[in-house]
Amino acid sequence: GVFAHLELLEAQAYKAAVKQEESEQQKEKLAGLRARVQELRLQRDDLRAKLDLQQKGQLGKEGVVSDPAQPSPRAVVEWKIKNLMSMLQVFYLTGISGKLTKRGVCFCISTAYEGTYLDSYHLDLLTKPEVQIYRHSLPVFIPLQQIAKKYLQTDIRRFLAVLSDHLNAYVGRRYQADQLQEHFSEQIEGTLQRNSLCNLLVFNYNVSSTSKTFPFHARLLYRDLCCSLPTEVDVSCASDAPAALAEMAAAHVGLFRRMALHKAFSSFSSAGESMD
Amino acid sequence: MDETVAEYIRRTVLKIPRDEIKAMLQKWGFLSEAQLETVNFRQIKENISQDVVQLCEENSADIKQAAVLDIIYNHIYPNKRVWSVYKMNKTGEETEVFELAEFKTKFKRRLRSALKNVTINFKEYEDNAIWIRIAWGTPYRTPNQYKPSYAVYHSQTPYVFISTSVFKSNLPLLCQALVVASNYHDIREMELRSHSLNSLKDIVFKRFSQNFQSYCPKPLQGRKVAPDTVDLRIVEENRSEKERIQRLNREAFGDGPQPKIEFAQYKLETMFKSDPKMNVLDKKEPFRCLVKFSSPHLLESLKSLAPAGMADAPLSPLLTCIPQKARNYFKIREKKGVLPESFVSP
Repeated sequence: GVFAHLELLEAQAYKAAVKQEESEQQKEKLAGLRARVQELRLQRDDLRAKLDLQQKGQLGKEGVVSDPAQPSPRAVVEWKIKNLMSMLQVFYLTGISGKLTKRGVCFCISTAYEGTYLDSYHLDLLTKPEVQIYRHSLPVFIPLQQIAKKYLQTDIRRFLAVLSDHLNAYVGRRYQADQLQEHFSEQIEGTLQRNSLCNLLVFNYNVSSTSKTFPFHARLLYRDLCCSLPTEVDVSCASDAPAALAEMAAAHVGLFRRMALHKAFSSFSSAGESMD
Repeated sequence: MDETVAEYIRRTVLKIPRDEIKAMLQKWGFLSEAQLETVNFRQIKENISQDVVQLCEENSADIKQAAVLDIIYNHIYPNKRVWSVYKMNKTGEETEVFELAEFKTKFKRRLRSALKNVTINFKEYEDNAIWIRIAWGTPYRTPNQYKPSYAVYHSQTPYVFISTSVFKSNLPLLCQALVVASNYHDIREMELRSHSLNSLKDIVFKRFSQNFQSYCPKPLQGRKVAPDTVDLRIVEENRSEKERIQRLNREAFGDGPQPKIEFAQYKLETMFKSDPKMNVLDKKEPFRCLVKFSSPHLLESLKSLAPAGMADAPLSPLLTCIPQKARNYFKIREKKGVLPESFVSP
């Protein structure tokens, strides 16, 4: 009847309205996208112009397109990078290098002993409101707080120098002890007793010649933490040993005082001193 | 051989996984190779332990050797215990020379002067770690070997790692003995605890990877690995955001593996901040609340939160400061000032 017809008309009207809304939305979208395309085109033209300008600029005043004698921009950049890297490598090899950070500076102390590069340690410093240590990767047995108390505020160069001395000496002592254990293990009786700072070494070792082996007991004390050579050396042999052996012990004391531990060992191992 | 020693050795051997028993006995060095050859290590553990006790009987083992075997077991499986870190202080400036024999003597003397019935054993390891095992007794009872305390001390450092037994009352005695033996003045417990002893060492000895800015030539890790087949239809829309998150994550956590801790606990004593009209909590008391994060590997999971999209980068410094501040137990109180911001108590 009438109502059914009215409903039909209403439904049709609704459909038409929805369709119109849809098409309006699409038109808006299209307009938006067109504007975006314009924008991007402008950007592209802009960049193209810049690129042209750069290329023209590199041609030089002669206006030649490509000069074989002149290096390409890529080669120039590569050379610059290589130069910088070598410079940074040089700084690293000197042992102390630094890099400015947002809030201060980060130092890298790289250690070495007699030509062998060993560990690197970092120290992150803040410079405001006063110089303070923010964080670090130094071993905990290095007396950092003591050194900082003395020099950090007043003379930062000295602070770094002293710290570097401590670290280099520590790794030097550690390297010697490690070398001894690695290369002269047959001559060491029992375990090589050491401590974290490697500033006290106690061990028993043998010196063999012809058919006999002579046991010795050594105690090396490194009181100076900035030194990789011992300050006090004690070498003893059995109480009933012949006098010649006592002389040898004294000679060894001199060796250990003067030269690196593993070098001292190789010197009397290869010398093959003979005992009568 | 004492019955109690025999039983103790038997029980210690039973704790060891069957495949590891031979190696551990070799490390112990108390039984000769020839003796070890006579044991069939493929039988059930009950029988292996009986055989081992028999051999120990032949060698007349006493509690000292049995204690060393226990130390070896705990050194290989330290993660079965919870370790707490203690820090010692000294006011003197002179660097003392550390002598192991002196340390041991002083420690034993100090502890024994306070308590007669204790069993004290030491074992030194290559990394300068001194393991100390203490079995506690009372003036009237012999030491209980089944509930010992362990202390791990690295010479010339102020840190001691302690795993106590149930008898917490003996802790002050242990601390005193450590302070005296190592020539320090006092000792306090740090708010740092974990099952992983090595991770605790990594944190306090600063062996974990911190991201230092430097020009040091480091081996470059291949961060951007080009995939074999690049599907050009796939475009990464959020590349810059991803890179930002990666960069912040690296700054906060560094490049290497994180130390392993199982939980972080934050005790909040802050005021509840609400709309005054809401009238919640008429009394102006701090709201007490405990937040505990736990995970099999907490720091690694925190590190992967931002890249996985589960948290915003950068993460709260309360979470990222854990290795840096060497603590995983925090108390957060109200900052007394004009601005009511919270701060972390030392």
